[in-house]
Amino acid sequence: MAKIIEQARIISQERISGQILRLRLHSPEISGAARCGQFVMVRLREGTDPLLRRPFSFSRIYPEDGEFEILYRVVGRGTWLMSQLLPGSSVSLVGPLGNGFELPIEKTAALAFIAGGIGIAPLLELIAQVISDRGAKGLENLRLFYGARTAAELLPEDFTRAIGIRVHFATDDGSFGFHGRITQMVEELTAEEDLLLRRPHEVYSCGPLAMQYHVARWAISNDVLAQLSMESLMACGIGACLGCALPAQTPGEPQSERFVHVCEDGPIFSAGSIKWNKILVQQMPPPTWVFN
Amino acid sequence: MEQNPGSADASPDLGVQLGPLRLKNPVMSASGTFGYGEEYSSFLDLRRLGAVVVKGISLTPRAGNPPPRLVETPAGMLNAIGLENVGVERFLSIKLPFLRDLGVPVIVNIFGNTIEEYGELAARLEGAPGIAAIEINVSCPNVKKGGMVFGTDPAMTSKVVEAVRRATVLPVITKLTPNVTSISEIAKAARGAGSDLISCINTVAAMAVDIFSRRPRLANIFGGLSGPAVKPVALRCVYEVVRAVDCPVIGIGGIMSATDALEFLLIGACAVQVGTANFINPASTVEIIEGIERFLKVEGITDINSYIGSLDTGCLFPFADDSCAVIESEIL
Ligand SMILES: Cc1cc2nc3c(=O)[nH]c(=O)nc-3n(C[C@H](O)[C@H](O)[C@H](O)COP(=O)(O)OP(=O)(O)OC[C@H]3O[C@@H](n4cnc5c(N)ncnc54)[C@H](O)[C@@H]3O)c2cc1C
Ligand SMILES: Cc1cc2nc3c(=O)[nH]c(=O)nc-3n(C[C@H](O)[C@H](O)[C@H](O)COP(=O)(O)O)c2cc1C
Ligand code: FES
Repeated sequence: MAKIIEQARIISQERISGQILRLRLHSPEISGAARCGQFVMVRLREGTDPLLRRPFSFSRIYPEDGEFEILYRVVGRGTWLMSQLLPGSSVSLVGPLGNGFELPIEKTAALAFIAGGIGIAPLLELIAQVISDRGAKGLENLRLFYGARTAAELLPEDFTRAIGIRVHFATDDGSFGFHGRITQMVEELTAEEDLLLRRPHEVYSCGPLAMQYHVARWAISNDVLAQLSMESLMACGIGACLGCALPAQTPGEPQSERFVHVCEDGPIFSAGSIKWNKILVQQMPPPTWVFN
Repeated sequence: MEQNPGSADASPDLGVQLGPLRLKNPVMSASGTFGYGEEYSSFLDLRRLGAVVVKGISLTPRAGNPPPRLVETPAGMLNAIGLENVGVERFLSIKLPFLRDLGVPVIVNIFGNTIEEYGELAARLEGAPGIAAIEINVSCPNVKKGGMVFGTDPAMTSKVVEAVRRATVLPVITKLTPNVTSISEIAKAARGAGSDLISCINTVAAMAVDIFSRRPRLANIFGGLSGPAVKPVALRCVYEVVRAVDCPVIGIGGIMSATDALEFLLIGACAVQVGTANFINPASTVEIIEGIERFLKVEGITDINSYIGSLDTGCLFPFADDSCAVIESEIL
């Protein structure tokens, strides 16, 4: 569907825990066209502070109600303003944007969902769609691996239980679940025979850049398909400013210097399409006077 | 000022003559903020724009700068995109046909690493159907002169404009950088070398840092500031340039609303370009056109050209009459 500007009405806003909130919006056109993994650009306020729209994934989509949800974490000015939105007020949206996840074609495939922190947001809708595709049976080989820095940053238990598939928790500090990196947990657990996940058919992940890097490495070395939801700072969200670039891998041309744009080519990328070493080991070039 | 309160209902004439270029209204998109036009086609009817100025084009494709390329700053943003673009060949074969078929005037923004490259680009665009004008971005480093930015030196600016002028019969616009001591000197040089029009401003050289990571916020360290924060700088630059050259000037910088656009027209810009606003409201350009039209109607102005440059800088002393003299004599 064509991208549009739509004025959305706030249906509800609730604090899930700590700095994580959930916003439900009435936006019939965008909700009707949205696919999981896509996002909207939200104008949190008229005026110049903040100036730019902020990108948020669809965490749940209810096309028949003309509504969708955003699950978000307050990290700065824009998300703080978002947390102050009251039911009945309205915000301007641009969407639906980006490519979205591709759902698995095979209805019985073992799938691993990997979420770091608020990266769980786009996976919630994806998991809901996979569950409704499969019906009650065949959920055993769906697993959510969900990690955060510390227990307090995880969503509460009743929330994660309601997702409907088995969840394996990890925290960096060991305060809950597996102690260590989420990808270490994935490696250890998928090595276990009884998990039916010895070799997941496909991995879907969203989370901090460092986590995504480890997921990509794990997926590539285990020859598992991965769909990663990537982030970048964005100005337009529609492919016009070219600001949301990530270094791209061109098959057969390791030396080629090329960028993908998260808002247009993504936000969902395969593990092999990003030139990871050019992100994490970023050399600061000498300043030039080439802007724009 | 031409005023005709009697016919306030009639649509005012928004047409402007920019030297050799006739536009149906004075509102265009600014280069680099509107992609190649198509990106905005689902938000507005592109045919309503005075013109579409496309992303800067070079002879060969350019990958651009490493990320992060953007950062938001108070009432503005910095960008260091690095002039990423598809190159002139792909522009002509893939991007231009869409706009040409719509019939919207297309202004092609060009840049090069050398004076010769500017000339070659203009020659390559010459004769391609559907191009209304060429806009020269002189805010680029001259690789043969140690990276000195063309547009910061009158002599280099004039060489670039000459090279383009020789290569094309299309109207030529020179787009100036504000990062100079005297923008009117550069404007005169560009005009003297045969530029039909001047547009300004490009982004303002700027930087942002993060005190926690102790790193610059942009991989390129420096970036170009745009958005509402630059509007007062842009107004001052346009005001100076309008008075320095004898050709029409296009005002750019921080235009978010019809009011902002009218401010530039008031000080003598014959047209405007809208940049950063497109990111925040993709329908900005059309809303600005509608706002200008409403303003002219309310003010009873039938022809926009009678508003352009009508700024009154004369001194007003409303109380300097005889009664003042009486008060004065009583006090003294
Ligand atoms: C495609 C996409 C989908 C997203 N979906 C969600 C979502 O569903 N839920 C959610 O909570 N967040 C999501 N984000 C991140 C969200 O856009 C940022 O948290 C938000 O823009 C921060 O705005 P702010 O004004 O509160 O923070 P700012 O004051 O702008 O910044 C505060 C801090 O947040 C960081 N930050 C700012 N923008 C981003 C960004 N785009 N990505 C990562 N870090 C950022 C800054 O570096 C800074 O450290 C998504 C981002 C993208 C690109
Ligand atoms: C992301 C971005 C990319 C730009 N790219 C170009 C470009 O390729 N060529 C050019 O001449 N100007 C470019 N500009 C400058 C704008 O055309 C304009 O001069 C400037 O942003 C000021 O206007 P504004 O405040 O309305 O954005 C760019 C600006 C931005 C924000
Ligand atoms: S955010 Fe502007 S191109 Fe992606």
